[in-house]
Amino acid sequence: MAEKVEHLQIQEGDVGRYVLLPGDPGRCEPIAQLFENPRHVATNREYVTYTGELDGTSVSVVSTGIGCPSTAIAVEELLKMGADTFIRVGTSGSIQLDTPSGQLAIVTAAIRDEGTSSHYLPMEFPAIANPQIVDALVEAGRRTGANTRCGVTQSKDSFYGEVEPDRMPLASRLLDRWEVWRQGGAICSEMEAAALFIISSIHRARAGGIMHMMGQGPDTDPDRKLLLSTAVESLRVLIRQDSEGHQWP
Amino acid sequence: MSMDADDDRQYHIQVRPGEVGKYVFLPGDPGRCEPIAQFFDEPRLVAKNREYETWTGYLDGEMVSVTSTGIGCPSAAIAMEELVKVGSDTFVRVGTSGSMQSFIKPGDLGVIHGAIRDEGTTSHYLPLEFPAVANIDVTRALAKGAKSIGKTVHVGISQSKDSFFGQHEPGRMPVASRLQERWSAWMAGGAICSEMEAAGLYIVASTLGVRAGGIMMILGHPDQSPMTEEEWADGAVANVLPAAIAGMRELIRQDKEG
Repeated sequence: MAEKVEHLQIQEGDVGRYVLLPGDPGRCEPIAQLFENPRHVATNREYVTYTGELDGTSVSVVSTGIGCPSTAIAVEELLKMGADTFIRVGTSGSIQLDTPSGQLAIVTAAIRDEGTSSHYLPMEFPAIANPQIVDALVEAGRRTGANTRCGVTQSKDSFYGEVEPDRMPLASRLLDRWEVWRQGGAICSEMEAAALFIISSIHRARAGGIMHMMGQGPDTDPDRKLLLSTAVESLRVLIRQDSEGHQWP
Repeated sequence: MSMDADDDRQYHIQVRPGEVGKYVFLPGDPGRCEPIAQFFDEPRLVAKNREYETWTGYLDGEMVSVTSTGIGCPSAAIAMEELVKVGSDTFVRVGTSGSMQSFIKPGDLGVIHGAIRDEGTTSHYLPLEFPAVANIDVTRALAKGAKSIGKTVHVGISQSKDSFFGQHEPGRMPVASRLQERWSAWMAGGAICSEMEAAGLYIVASTLGVRAGGIMMILGHPDQSPMTEEEWADGAVANVLPAAIAGMRELIRQDKEG
């Protein structure tokens, strides 16, 4: 009997090469409902795994938990099980002041404002999404009619350092850096993309991300229906391109 | 900024508003400006000062320019800053680079979608955590352009370094072991080529809200072993120029179609 990986508690054959990565374990089942023949594979700690099919190809969804430390573990173990295409999907803050709530950020690269990725590569190395995945997400957004925007995310280690910086001992540094990221053109703020992108670079795997941004005005899609359907649609785009041997672009 | 209040020419590049297009090629070498301008319709020399030489002409009816940056991020950052002040907003770096993967051969082309910030200029703009990333529209157009002329093209990350000889002759540097260890780390991270300007251009572009990308001729071998005569011929810089031009035409087409 094949051995299970330590944290995800899955074994070879349990997951497809295409994996959606939400942070929240509770989002795995709603995503899996968009697959054909979804089945629950494993639950351990913050890691929930479902596998199903899209257009006859095996696809999975695995939660990462919050933050780069647990995300790095999930991605490492998924790579060991043969996955090589990852799309992070979740909710994020917005950095540009003109962002409407519900606009979807298609992540092109990540600010490494976290501690995990430096255990892999020096800080000079860019945490960058695979351009084929960026384009697949753009195409998926066109199909679902989503309002999308491509750009850089801030991957941070401290949620409350972002949303309540004033009460932190390092308040002025946090506020100053937030303004710096805004002037650099970053569009969203989340907690996992940088580690996903750096580890994917090292393993020559493909990674990208799509985020529902909280911004101006009411949150019009509390169930994240458009986010999830757009993420799933991007997998269909990639599955088709891969089956046709399409080399990006 | 200008030396003379009555003169609207930029301090270093000596170019005025209206003299350059929105679209600009950025070679490092001033000697490459004229060969690039020969691909334009109605090319004309606009200015020449220090390492900065500028030509302007047309591609498919769109005004385009070429400005040399000189070697390194310090002079490249100045060129981009001043070009944006006179109205340019889309930049394509074109030049030569060293291979960082054994499967990438001299004569192959590299489209740089991100850069390792192994240089000193960009930290004057943004903390090191911020990624030096190319604009996806520029990257896509350049990759299509390179494919359209039948070249082998790799899309990936470049090392933007400040020391040419630190890469080519690391063993004689006092910090040899650090240079060699980091070179290995960049290769393990999947970097495809080594050059000296992309990080500066991408970070400055991010802060100015303009678009930048890069296409490079790839030369050499990751272990610094010498190239054969045939490899030198395949790697002639003239062989990257048609790909860069095709990429720019593709970008102009994409922009017109929205």
